[in-house]
Amino acid sequence: MPKLYTFLKYFCVILWSCFVIAPFLWAISTSFKDFNSVTGGATYIPWLQFEPTLDGWSVLFKPGSQGGINIIGPYFNSVFVTFTASFISIALGTLAAYALSRYTFKAGFVQNNDITFFFISQRIMPPVVLSIPFFIFLSTLGLLDSLAGLILVYIVLLMPIAVWIMVDFFNRVPKEIDETALIDGCNPFQAFFKVVLPNSIPGMIVAGLFCIIFGWIDFFFAFILTFTNVQLLPVKIVALNSSITPWWSLSAAALVSVAPLIVVAFVVERFLSKGNLSGALK
Amino acid sequence: MAKIELTHIAHSYNPNDLNPIFALKEMSLSWADGGRYALLGPSGCGKTTMLNIMSGLVTPSHGKVMFDQKDVTRTITEERNIAQVFQFPVIYGTMSVYENLAFPLKCRQTPDDQIDKKVKEVAEILNLQDFLHNRAKGLTADQKQLISLGRGLVREDVAAILMDEPLTVIDPDLKFRLRRKLKEINAKYKTTLIYVTHDQNEAMTFADNIIVMDEGEVVQAGSPKDLFERPQTTFVGYFIGSPAMNLYECKVINSNQVSVGSNNFSVQTNLDSTNTSNLKLGIRSEYITVEQTSGPNTIHADIIEVEDFGNYKLITAQQDLIRIKAKVKREQEAPSEKVFLQFPAEHCCVYADNKLI
Amino acid sequence: MSLNLGNIIFKPTDQYHLNDISLNFEYGKMYTILGRTLSGKTTLLKTIAGLQTPDSGDIEFDGKDFLAIPVWERNVAMVYQQFINYPHLNVKQNIEFPLKQRKMDENLIEKEVSDAIQKVGLKGFESRKIQELSGGQQQRVALARSLAKKAKILLLDEPLVNLDYKLREGLREEFKKLFTGSEASQSIFIYASTDPLEAMQLNGDIIVIDEGKILQTGSAKEVFENPANAKVAEITNDPAMNLNKGKIENNKLILNNNIQFNLPGNLQTMSSGDYLVGIRATDLHLDNNGFDFKVDISEISGSETFLHLHNQDIKCVATIEEVKSYEVDENVKINFDLSKIYLFKESGELHYSPYNN
Repeated sequence: MPKLYTFLKYFCVILWSCFVIAPFLWAISTSFKDFNSVTGGATYIPWLQFEPTLDGWSVLFKPGSQGGINIIGPYFNSVFVTFTASFISIALGTLAAYALSRYTFKAGFVQNNDITFFFISQRIMPPVVLSIPFFIFLSTLGLLDSLAGLILVYIVLLMPIAVWIMVDFFNRVPKEIDETALIDGCNPFQAFFKVVLPNSIPGMIVAGLFCIIFGWIDFFFAFILTFTNVQLLPVKIVALNSSITPWWSLSAAALVSVAPLIVVAFVVERFLSKGNLSGALK
Repeated sequence: MAKIELTHIAHSYNPNDLNPIFALKEMSLSWADGGRYALLGPSGCGKTTMLNIMSGLVTPSHGKVMFDQKDVTRTITEERNIAQVFQFPVIYGTMSVYENLAFPLKCRQTPDDQIDKKVKEVAEILNLQDFLHNRAKGLTADQKQLISLGRGLVREDVAAILMDEPLTVIDPDLKFRLRRKLKEINAKYKTTLIYVTHDQNEAMTFADNIIVMDEGEVVQAGSPKDLFERPQTTFVGYFIGSPAMNLYECKVINSNQVSVGSNNFSVQTNLDSTNTSNLKLGIRSEYITVEQTSGPNTIHADIIEVEDFGNYKLITAQQDLIRIKAKVKREQEAPSEKVFLQFPAEHCCVYADNKLI
Repeated sequence: MSLNLGNIIFKPTDQYHLNDISLNFEYGKMYTILGRTLSGKTTLLKTIAGLQTPDSGDIEFDGKDFLAIPVWERNVAMVYQQFINYPHLNVKQNIEFPLKQRKMDENLIEKEVSDAIQKVGLKGFESRKIQELSGGQQQRVALARSLAKKAKILLLDEPLVNLDYKLREGLREEFKKLFTGSEASQSIFIYASTDPLEAMQLNGDIIVIDEGKILQTGSAKEVFENPANAKVAEITNDPAMNLNKGKIENNKLILNNNIQFNLPGNLQTMSSGDYLVGIRATDLHLDNNGFDFKVDISEISGSETFLHLHNQDIKCVATIEEVKSYEVDENVKINFDLSKIYLFKESGELHYSPYNN
């Protein structure tokens, strides 16, 4: 009986894994195809069913004059914007979350929980609502079509996530730990940086992950707020589309854009499984 | 109400390993219907595991659980008809106190008028009758724990009520009142009550039958008096009583005499059949008396400390490596430097390999 | 050189947490703040530490205005009820933390840390992570960190209350040794507790607090023998002192129709009138010539039995020096040790104490 159960367990896991990996394998295989292989009929295995080419990939690196799009520039722009915005969001968001967790604010009937909710509520709004205000805002500041402007907008969008996750995390660190740090000679800033923060690293990593993911995949705001000077990856990839949908280069582009996220995921997972994040408090 | 029997129960969390570690070593226990029991032991001794096996939250890796001769080892908790109260209040916050107490009965489709009668009865016992229509969430911690308790009591037909250190969050004043209430309920409804704790005071006050556990084994089961006067093992001697029993390594001199250091003590145990060198003499501090002169079973020791506890004095005295704690009345005159302490023979216990002879 | 609190008031809500508190603490002494839960003990400790600022009043330490000094410059140490340590550091790093913060010399830090570890009995545990330790061990780490700091004021807020019963007993003894060493003369020790037994064992000065007010201060012996009022008598005894309304009339001490005594010698000088009559549980004895009482409930604690009794409207608790179960409504005969009677005025103040006349 237990053997059947174990078999079923493994079977389900393998089935599900196949289900998850299949799209990636499909994309990888498609990226090496040319027009005929894609439109003729379904083909899967390279060399056996079709002749692999590097067309799909080379298009990504050729400049526009040669019929391609050069994604190297936009790639680095995306990396820069996403990571800078995430970093600042987490820095500011964590400080705000700490204040919300430790100090009591009261203005009329508005209390800590209300302020926290206010932060979170920013994410509930459909992005479209913000499009025009942001446009006008950046235009007034002269920051349209600039990296700084985009980073500013992303900070506004990503910081609530950081606050949301970190408030909950800080609430779980007993206040007495801060007090003990104060008694042991730390002023409030030192107490925060030396004692509370090291115990909140799991939270910061989760918040970081969310910020990076949401920042990286954003198409909407990148599309609206940048044109020629600054180009981000999602927007650039969309430019690949023409009358004939180039599935092969689209697949290659998709893989290239997902790659950093996978790398980040693996790095964090390795870090997680080493038990470095076992900040469990009794 | 039911007679609960645990036959050859043992539990290991890794039973298929080569050397499984047993949280509960093999034992057989039976719990008479209507009794008041306590499972007493230090943290990690297995008492919570035992409780969970009885309620069905854990299926034992070996052995059987029987309720009234029926094998319920694989029966799920709902069908065993057990009420369990945990250390922290478990209540349905959005329901009123009334609804909380009525919940187990509603689940069993009891008619409404019976539910009403029962809930009011139990609420009265727990002194919650004024709060019946308040939201459960808004009450204090001990009131919430009372509701937890009450939910276990509304069901008349439960096989047993199992309580896992239920009074931990309660204020000391209320604790005493609750313990009394539990005794009254047991007297009235004759429900078997099993109480798990690490506090000997709670166990001894509450139960007529105490089962002392250590490291997954039952070490002694008996009335509070037995556990106090004749602890079966040195562990029980240490665990029960405040302060712990005085224990000294000793050697046999003849059939009823042992020597501790350079002192001889008569005991009432027959030592002829002992064949181990691990022998200990045990005497409780309450039984040691202060004498004016030397005499039988008396030791002359230097006074290290006399502590005034208000209601009694604790004399700590030492002779060579022998350290004695004696509990005496507050009025007892304690000499300043040396004192004669007598170990009455009838209260001396001799332990061979840590077991009482 | 001392710590002085003058007229401290702290009223964060509509109830006083600290109501006009004035206290004086001297170096080298141990003080126990004794009071029920929520009486203001923790608030008092936190105010001394600086974690809470009083609404009014002043604190002076070594001649300086303490209130003007922020928490991190006050050189105090605090051990909490819940075991508080830095979870991301191991044992050694935890203990070093305050010393490193002070930027002490490395070698000196090493020495202090190993001294502290030795004192609390954690040698060999230096590189263990906090989460791997048991409750008792964690509390020892917290204690070691406080000791290593060599703070001038060491505050302990019921540090043993979350530990297993037996562990508590053992640690209390160790505490006593730690707080009466030669270095102890450099510090002020303040220990908050709800347990009178603990207060007696620590044998320092007792400060009795209730509802934010100081009711009495004095040596342990003094507070025990001569409680300033009925409330103090309740708080400083476990079980609480029996207090019943009674009167002196026609040369008799009358509690109710059944319980009357000829006025004993020590009370001859007392004027007639209504009083609150106090007697400790240990001063009531089983006596075949005594008065009839009905047992409400019997509680067993380790080595003795507490009987909760009543005779009409007179209720009391008697401590019997053996372990024995009594049934509800059983009849027993009890007598009073008249040489230990206390008389309080109806307002609660002490009128007559058997120790001080």
